[in-house]
Amino acid sequence: MATSKLLVKGFKPPLLDRELTVVGKPLNRRDALEKVTGKAAYSGDIKLPDMLYGKILGCPHPRARIIKIDTRKAEALPGVAAVLTKENTKGWRTYWYKVPQIAFPECITYEGQEVAAVAAEDIPTAQRALDLIDVEYEILTPMLDKEETIASPPWPLIADEEYPGSDVYDRKKYVIKRGDIDKGFEEADVIVEDTYTTQASCHGTIQTRACVTSWDGHNLTVWDAIQGVWNTKETLATSLGLDPDNVRVIVKYLGGGFGSKAWSQRITYYAAKLAMITGRPVRIERSRREEFVNHSRRWDCKMTIKMGAKKDGTLTAIYQTALVNIGAAANEENYYCVQIIWHTSNLHACPNVYLEQVGVYTNLQITGPTRSPLNKPAIFALESHMDKMAVALDMDPLAFRLKNYATDCSISAEFGAYPDAAVSHKETKIPYSSKNLDECMKLATEAIGWKNRSAKRSTRHGTKRRGIGMASYLVFQGIGLMPYAANADVDINHDGTVALRVGVVDIGGGQQTIFSMIAAEELGVSADDVTVVYGDTQGTRYGPSCHASRATPELGPAVLQAAAEARQKLFEIAAPLLKTGVEELRSQNGKIYLASDPSKVMPFREVCNKIDPDHPIRGSGSRAPNPNAPMFSTFGAQAVELEVDTETGLVDILKITAAHDFGKAINPKLCVSQIYGGIGFGIGFALSEEGIYDPRTGKLLSTNLHHYKMPTSLDVPAIHAILTEDEDPYFAYSAKGAGENTNAPTPPAIRNAIYDAIGIWFNDLPITPDKIINALNAKKKKR
Amino acid sequence: MALGENRSKEKKRIALCVNGKKVQADVESRITLAEFLREELRLTGTKVGCNRAECGSCTVILDGEPVYSCSMLAVEAAGTEILTIEGLENKTGLHPLQEAFIEHDALQCGYCTPGMLMALKALLDRNPRPEECDIRDAIDGNFCRCGSYPNIINATLDASKKLLKGNRSNHGDK
Repeated sequence: MATSKLLVKGFKPPLLDRELTVVGKPLNRRDALEKVTGKAAYSGDIKLPDMLYGKILGCPHPRARIIKIDTRKAEALPGVAAVLTKENTKGWRTYWYKVPQIAFPECITYEGQEVAAVAAEDIPTAQRALDLIDVEYEILTPMLDKEETIASPPWPLIADEEYPGSDVYDRKKYVIKRGDIDKGFEEADVIVEDTYTTQASCHGTIQTRACVTSWDGHNLTVWDAIQGVWNTKETLATSLGLDPDNVRVIVKYLGGGFGSKAWSQRITYYAAKLAMITGRPVRIERSRREEFVNHSRRWDCKMTIKMGAKKDGTLTAIYQTALVNIGAAANEENYYCVQIIWHTSNLHACPNVYLEQVGVYTNLQITGPTRSPLNKPAIFALESHMDKMAVALDMDPLAFRLKNYATDCSISAEFGAYPDAAVSHKETKIPYSSKNLDECMKLATEAIGWKNRSAKRSTRHGTKRRGIGMASYLVFQGIGLMPYAANADVDINHDGTVALRVGVVDIGGGQQTIFSMIAAEELGVSADDVTVVYGDTQGTRYGPSCHASRATPELGPAVLQAAAEARQKLFEIAAPLLKTGVEELRSQNGKIYLASDPSKVMPFREVCNKIDPDHPIRGSGSRAPNPNAPMFSTFGAQAVELEVDTETGLVDILKITAAHDFGKAINPKLCVSQIYGGIGFGIGFALSEEGIYDPRTGKLLSTNLHHYKMPTSLDVPAIHAILTEDEDPYFAYSAKGAGENTNAPTPPAIRNAIYDAIGIWFNDLPITPDKIINALNAKKKKR
Repeated sequence: MALGENRSKEKKRIALCVNGKKVQADVESRITLAEFLREELRLTGTKVGCNRAECGSCTVILDGEPVYSCSMLAVEAAGTEILTIEGLENKTGLHPLQEAFIEHDALQCGYCTPGMLMALKALLDRNPRPEECDIRDAIDGNFCRCGSYPNIINATLDASKKLLKGNRSNHGDK
């Protein structure tokens, strides 16, 4: 395997030049034992001596102005240690992602926005104190619906002067163009147009946000529930006016992220302030309702696609308009202004495209990254439309996709370069570092029995109709840009112990397991020999937040480089002992030996004993930014077999096959778990999950797990997961990311299978039984 | 309201058995069994994901039955025998379910895991030979948002086989 292209700064690790002994093995995750015995302490499990409990009063209205606020009764309640409101916090700045925002604003722009924070001796007292705070609001009519909002003149932003990103994206049009769209449609024999809508959806992490803050007058220590310790440390230090060196953030276990905790969470700011004011540790843990209301959901979207193709299935034109409800707040970190259109422009080859994406600000719930943020809506619309197009062309949907296979990536706009519109006519084609999408499509469809599709369709069981569908996806991979430094260090000590230091959170993907395996392979020891220091800003250097499938592709090369450098330094000690040169040495299975004569060998530990005890060996690694080319992406395809009950409208998913291109798997067991998890997320988005708002007041109604319907053990079918493994010299052992995007193709594959079963296209997610029954009844009437 | 508030802070003495140990405590009558386990006994393996009987992460075994400990008062548990995740291991080591969860990667973030394991332990106690559908039914009140259901099912089938084998050779579950 060539490592010459490995994305690292400086020292290029030499080739291992031997069989791999750790990487590629289905090892068990390192923290499984703590998790199955209940010993894993999550942030909300931590209880410090003399700890107070915090609670936050959120505004119950999506758009309002505070006229008067009276906290006297709350302050007088025995057991209350502090009450914070806009009246006693002038000049305080919290943050929305990295953007400063008034800590307790006068003007409220979304439901749940912070009005007061309380610390008390116990939770009931804190809750009672919130009840005793009198707030008089001027309730204003909220802007909620994206289409109504954009059709009306820009509304006066009632907000404080620092309303986050108040005009960054509002109504701004971003465009990707290539070729000549008019000519493309002229050349087309068949043109199909349709509109697709996707819903607001929520993360539903089983752990609600929780943090414990401790202040000793100088240093702030935070046990948090977030996906990135380093970005949280920076944001907290900035907003609290502290030196970053005085802020330590720890996350050893995280009860689910899925993007909802990608950046520092605001409750941590309030908990830190309460700790600094009272001089006592503070825990804030959100209730499930608070978690639903004040968290950044996935945007609701409306996408229209018009597609043209020649009789033989060659795509000639794709036109798309996408309207996104950004909700109440967005800035450059948490809204992706070209994410829908980028994916539409690059999944299939088409010479002529005109694609535009517009976001609109409303007072509906705040938005932010959610597992496959805007690519999930994009892939739903595009892969649904591909099937409709295939039917119009009388082509097999798989054959239609393979006919328009894109070997290269098109870069056609400098995204975000223009404030009003990012438009570029100039197309640059660049290759992918690796791409196996065609194999993914073939393997997934083969495994579901694609060839027998029509035979299965005709099998009827009473009121049930059977269908098979498929969909594919791609996703941009590994951000690798500044300030996203990704660093790793490996220490080898005199006693033979090895420590890997990575400033990353293990969010459940098994990050610490994966990095221990990379380090162990490079050092020639077993993964268990490597202690991992992780999830802590103390003892590590800057690492990326664990979101966007970033950890493995961004930190992997840094870990490999750090371990390889440490190994080379150890070889310098071993070389004279084995009477040879460093370049002659290899290490494997805890032994250091001569490549030319493996019988000349020394145990790894014995060589370590020669290390100066006062100067342990340190190897350091840093990932280099992404080059301009090639493009890094992961790919995959899924196929679904299901039954639709024409009497009840219920969809029963019988089987899902999933073939994914993550490069190579460091740990195939963990990769397969990511596929299972993604498919669960995808099933919910396709069939049941929906954030429901009161259309008049804009308040979230689906604020519990009965109303917000996530898939249960009864809903997730047997899943056949396939990893297509291929070389990719830019990444550590060819490993791209695996976690985030495995859910993207599931909704269109389900939707296309429902069409196969009952001959009706569903373009509005989620496809609930009432929609199916109504559509079946309408179809009957037509006849 | 004031009267109710005072009453809810009145303490009552309860005696119960938790993970094989006798426990006596004076508890406020308002606190739930989950709060009692987590805050008073510091058995934080039991998680509270929703506090309203929806997510299942607080599942413990009470007199042999799986219950949502968030939706039961501590005083109601007086006189009962309770098993939490901390009591699932025995002297001989991990319970076969725990071993199988590790081996089959039946967990990701791990937050639902304690509740999931307790629901499944209760299943295997009442039905040592569950079919896949029995397992799905047994945990349909336990959410795993990371989506480990396929691995959880396989782990449980595996554990049930091991338990049956163990019982035959008389090295049974405790």
